[in-house]
Amino acid sequence: MNLDKDVIPLNNQKKKKETILIVDDSDLNRAILSDMLAQDYNVLEAENGQEGVDILEELSKDHPDLSSVLSLILLDIVMPVMNGFQMLEIMRERLWIEDVPVIMISAEKDSANIERAYDLGVTDFIARPFDALIVHHRVINTILLDAKQKKLASMVADQIYEKEQRSSLMIDILSHIVEFRNGESGLHVLHVRTITEMLLDRLAQKTSRYNLTPSVISLIGTASALHDIGKISVDEKILNKPGRLTDEEFAIMKSHAKIGADMLEGLSIHQNEPLVKVAYEICRWHHERYDGRGYPDGLKGDEIPISAQMVALADVYDALTSKRVYKPPFSHEQAVQMIAEGQCGAFNPLVLECLTEISESIRDEMGSVDPTRQNRREMQTVLQEMGRHEELTASERTLQLLEHERMKYSYFAAMSKEIQFEFTTSPAMVSLSTWGAKHLGLDEIIMDPLHSSKVFSVLDADACRSLSNTLRSTSPDQPDISFDCQLNYQGDLRWTRIVARAVWSSDEPPRYTGALGKAIDIHDSRMRLDNLERLASHDTLTGLLNHAYAKKRILERITSRPGSSYAMVIFDLDHFKSANDNYGHSFGDQVLIYLADLLRQSIRGGDIAARAGGDEFVIFLEYKEEIETIIDRIFHSLCGQYKDFPISISMGVALSPALPRDYDSLFHAADQALYTAKRSGRGRYCFYDDTMSNTFCATVRHDAPDAAEHQKEERT
Amino acid sequence: MTLQECYAAMGGDYNDAIGRLRSERLVQKFVLKFAEDGSYSLLQSSLADSNYDEAFRAAHTIKGVCQNLSLTRLADSSSALCESLRGGTPPASGLAEQVSTDYQETISAIQTFREGISG
Repeated sequence: MNLDKDVIPLNNQKKKKETILIVDDSDLNRAILSDMLAQDYNVLEAENGQEGVDILEELSKDHPDLSSVLSLILLDIVMPVMNGFQMLEIMRERLWIEDVPVIMISAEKDSANIERAYDLGVTDFIARPFDALIVHHRVINTILLDAKQKKLASMVADQIYEKEQRSSLMIDILSHIVEFRNGESGLHVLHVRTITEMLLDRLAQKTSRYNLTPSVISLIGTASALHDIGKISVDEKILNKPGRLTDEEFAIMKSHAKIGADMLEGLSIHQNEPLVKVAYEICRWHHERYDGRGYPDGLKGDEIPISAQMVALADVYDALTSKRVYKPPFSHEQAVQMIAEGQCGAFNPLVLECLTEISESIRDEMGSVDPTRQNRREMQTVLQEMGRHEELTASERTLQLLEHERMKYSYFAAMSKEIQFEFTTSPAMVSLSTWGAKHLGLDEIIMDPLHSSKVFSVLDADACRSLSNTLRSTSPDQPDISFDCQLNYQGDLRWTRIVARAVWSSDEPPRYTGALGKAIDIHDSRMRLDNLERLASHDTLTGLLNHAYAKKRILERITSRPGSSYAMVIFDLDHFKSANDNYGHSFGDQVLIYLADLLRQSIRGGDIAARAGGDEFVIFLEYKEEIETIIDRIFHSLCGQYKDFPISISMGVALSPALPRDYDSLFHAADQALYTAKRSGRGRYCFYDDTMSNTFCATVRHDAPDAAEHQKEERT
Repeated sequence: MTLQECYAAMGGDYNDAIGRLRSERLVQKFVLKFAEDGSYSLLQSSLADSNYDEAFRAAHTIKGVCQNLSLTRLADSSSALCESLRGGTPPASGLAEQVSTDYQETISAIQTFREGISG
């Protein structure tokens, strides 16, 4: 790979090459991997699991955190001496697997093996034969991911230190009480803390021996405030005695170190808090001397925790430069000199170096110590801390990208003039695009939209529920819906299509968590469609239904309500041909329009009326009783006069109870009855009966009321 | 003989190898190196000693390398042999012989190829 230009150098921004360990028994396999990775990484090779373990062992001698020297292991499974799984077991026991990610590469494709590998903690599994580019990418990704994860873990820990800052106020108050009894300036605690932290900062620059991260330094600073809490048990007379203490008094005075530590140790809770642990060290050992001649335990050198060493030095410095009942204050220079010369105790030479090196800063700082400065200092710590994490730049970049995406989204949303929306179930909330909200007269964010009267004024409650149910009844595989409804655009009711995607969580089982989508105005096209549908279903001259559509409606009616009784009525105009012949066709049309109007007025809402063609009309109606009366009324309302033309009709009626309940039978029977009516002299209506199957007219009615009665008689 | 012709003679899939390893140079380098790999002689000696665990590992290695280099024919026969040896059992008859035949063909193709490029 190193000489091949067709592979992009993915890793070229690395300053220091990271190291990868390849564990595989086949020389050839190792060579292939090594060849692919050698340009970007240092490659170590091991022939089997045992050799791999040996290498890790060797590395971990000098580097307890293996990740500092080894970034990744590529591990085969089948090997002599010790196979890949056995090596993983050992890495687990030794906790190495926590430090170094492992990618398993094997021709073993059996899923049990892959699962076992993951169970043992491998980060990835690559099957043989592998693709060079994939191996390369996975290696990079694994290394980056692992580094990021570790960084994040430490960032989270660093966040916690901020929490400790908050408790520092309480500590300050507590320690001030101690000071108050001591008759000290009230600034002693603050001074000690400031100097301690400054010294520690310097020490951290000089050596990494004490592992002084910013959060550790801050913790020690906070805990330093408690260094003298043990003095609370010392008699005020001794504490504030102007002259030299007697041996006995001095012994009591000295007891404050151990008493303070005991007080902390006696805490029934918080024993494991780092702050308590550090405060314990400081209380107990801030009077120890580096030469081992201090109290209470006579610890020597670095047996004394660094926290206590620093606080001891800061305590001595501040005591020297402050006025006490038993002495005047020394100047900064005098104090530093006295300490450096060993007149005021024995200190770690490295710590003394720190003091002399930052002497000037301490003098400046002490000249102007006040609590606000302290805050500023803390702020600086936080800033430094943030600067230390390069990842923040990365996450800032992510935020920028996110912001960019958001801007892009809202720009396009505004451009598109669309009502876009996003819905979440928890919290129940709809957010609308700015344009959409304005257009609908709604807020951009609406809480609890399924119970919002404002929302209901735009989309009525039933439709809202129906939309919600439609979304809920999707599945993660088929989350998209299309939902037509009428939206109220600030008074303008328009047909709208809502297209949306339900959002399902990736949990098992998946949960419906909301939806996103947009509303499209389809009013115009819908209206056009409605119009076309109307055109297709209606007779253009009279506006009644046409025959084909009437038949469809009638069939639907019969099917949906099979228990009802129906009447099929067919009628036509008597002598209509003469109207056309005598007055012209347009007059004939006017007659038909007039008749259609009459017909519309004489039927009920649910009845179906149609022009079957020419001058023939069809009525289909549902009835419960007294059908004769209804027919008679309709018949008479249709007869009359249009201009000079007398309107007379012949009508045939078929009733469903007496006939097969299908359209054709009813239509045929009504037609037979009409034929009978015509044969009997027109201008009348006629009910179908069985005798007409031979076109024989049995019951002809001419004059309405009588006719109806006649028919009744004959039917009973 | 080109590398492509060599692959044809070995019963391998030249395009697949190039597609995965992304470089003719790399494929050529490792094909040549394949002839020097000791796994085959380890397989033979392990089979002769009836050390089937060792034979399994050797067959497994041959299979893995052949898969990586897309030497399909030998990968298939060594895979069959490998599965047969899994768990330390003696191989089913004919499998080891098939691997030998395929291996010899592969090696002779590589040698012809090598002579071609050095000559």
